[in-house]
Amino acid sequence: MRNCHPIIKILALFTVWFLYLPLMGVAVCSVNSARDGWVWKGFTLDWYVKLFDNEWILNSALNTLILAVVSTAIATVLGTVLAIGISRFPWGRKTNSFLNMMLNIPVVIPDIIMAGSLVVVFGILREVSSMFDMGMIDMIIGHVTFQIAFVALVVRSRLALIGQDVEEAGRDLFASNWYLMRKVMLPLMMPGIVAGAMLAFTLSLDDFVLSFFLSGPDSQTLPLYIYAAVRRGVTPQIHALSTLIVLVTVVLVVGAERLSKKEVA
Amino acid sequence: MKRSIFVVMLLLSVFIRTGFAEDKELRIFIWSEYMDERKFSADFKKDTGINVKIDVYENNEDMLAKLQAGGVNQYDIIVPSDYIMSTLLAQKLIRPLDQTKIPNLKNVSPQFRNTPYDPGNKYTAPWQWGSVGLMYNKNKVSAEAVKSWSVIFDPSKQAGTFWLMDSVRDTMNLALLYLGYDMNSTKPQEIKKAAEMIIAAKNSRNCRGFKPGVGGKNDVDAGAAAMAIVYNGDAMRAVMNDPKRLGFVIPKEGGEIWVDLMAIPAHAPHVDAAHKWINWILDPKRGAMLSNYNRYATPNQASLPYIIAKDKKLDEIYPGPDTMKRLHFTQDLGSANRLVDEAWTKIKSH
Repeated sequence: MRNCHPIIKILALFTVWFLYLPLMGVAVCSVNSARDGWVWKGFTLDWYVKLFDNEWILNSALNTLILAVVSTAIATVLGTVLAIGISRFPWGRKTNSFLNMMLNIPVVIPDIIMAGSLVVVFGILREVSSMFDMGMIDMIIGHVTFQIAFVALVVRSRLALIGQDVEEAGRDLFASNWYLMRKVMLPLMMPGIVAGAMLAFTLSLDDFVLSFFLSGPDSQTLPLYIYAAVRRGVTPQIHALSTLIVLVTVVLVVGAERLSKKEVA
Repeated sequence: MKRSIFVVMLLLSVFIRTGFAEDKELRIFIWSEYMDERKFSADFKKDTGINVKIDVYENNEDMLAKLQAGGVNQYDIIVPSDYIMSTLLAQKLIRPLDQTKIPNLKNVSPQFRNTPYDPGNKYTAPWQWGSVGLMYNKNKVSAEAVKSWSVIFDPSKQAGTFWLMDSVRDTMNLALLYLGYDMNSTKPQEIKKAAEMIIAAKNSRNCRGFKPGVGGKNDVDAGAAAMAIVYNGDAMRAVMNDPKRLGFVIPKEGGEIWVDLMAIPAHAPHVDAAHKWINWILDPKRGAMLSNYNRYATPNQASLPYIIAKDKKLDEIYPGPDTMKRLHFTQDLGSANRLVDEAWTKIKSH
């Protein structure tokens, strides 16, 4: 920043301010004891306390957590395997570029198109079995679908950072594949895997469009609850809930970024 | 050997539908704030032993979309409005009622028994009926100004901030009425003019946007807006809590009258429980409890003696003959539905 033109500095600061001001506004409203409006009436943590009384919110929070944990676990395993497969197998040039493109598609595609296509797919699968009724299973599968790509991208960049030298040295010393994986690759990849998992967790927590299309009567998540509640009239409880979610998300993203920057020893 | 047994069990569990717990649960998909959810669930559980799970929506189109996307085999009771019945029937989303299981159908008032959208109550039983009008804050808007819909639709006469209703037919109906057209017009030029007027109102400084169902009412109640297009029962709940500050009126150009119905989706998992619910609601005292809570009009003539006496005299809840002349039923427009949908998309995106 030191060598930047002052106008660029100002623009950068303005962008950051523009992005975060609404969030700070919500946070301020959540500790304001006035029920509505911008008049500051006094600091209070009442709205946060009331959150824990509300059955619907607690239920939604539980569903959100279960969904995030399960889908992250599945997506991390699958994503890591995918990353290893893509970067360590000697694909031909064309296959390599094709795989790279496929990996990027879930990242770039608009949520609503993915959600729409999943609705169609589950409609077909529902003819076969009622297990695919709108609900938690659908949502988990839907979330895993886009999380795999994110995890794979993060782990793949970590693998590129590690390089092939350590593996080849291990093979020269007669290490078996499983030993190589367990003692060499996984420990080296761990920061990347954890970063990918945190990213996937955050994405699942915040996901609205996919959950909206795939949720059933028993599986309402927090973003869905907030959406429905805002349409009925905003209360400061929603400000409190939103602030909490933003805090959790920020902590996770910063953690993910820190871990993925760790140097290779 | 163990692994193959495990695989077979897994496959079996995939293909067996969960048939048990058939009538221990009831899943209701209903408008928000339409009944005392906690009390009615507890009472129904006490009377029949069935657990009630409630999911809410804010307008008919949301409910229809959810049904089409797979909700048709997950919910047992839905509460559609009269005009959406032909769509539900055409898409085979609801199943006929077994009237032998609903003896309380005899309590329903005669005008709700043989309706154009469901003759003979083959598919539905009535839930509540009411109207669409204007709720306003008396301290910010004068009673004179709200005598006409111009207070919303005419930028030069707007008396304060307002919310439009996020419901295709409800808002379009009022726009068509204000312009002096037939509320159920299928003429493209009339629909176009109504759409342009709504866009102008939406883009005016005073309009805060669209909110469905109870959203507008909650905001006027909280003081976040001066006026809103609302359903009469929602408005009256707030007005009767604070009559000096809030008011509800049906302006002179007219308003919409609607009937909400209870129906059972085509593949509902607990059909028996659904019939029990409908019969339970049509009980005279239960119907009165419902209307006394949500301040809508009851279609159940056996409930009328138990309704709060003051409510029965209120024109806002039980409209008198003069008001009834200004109220019109929404009808399904058949192939012209497409025109209204396109107009609405244009309204939302401009």
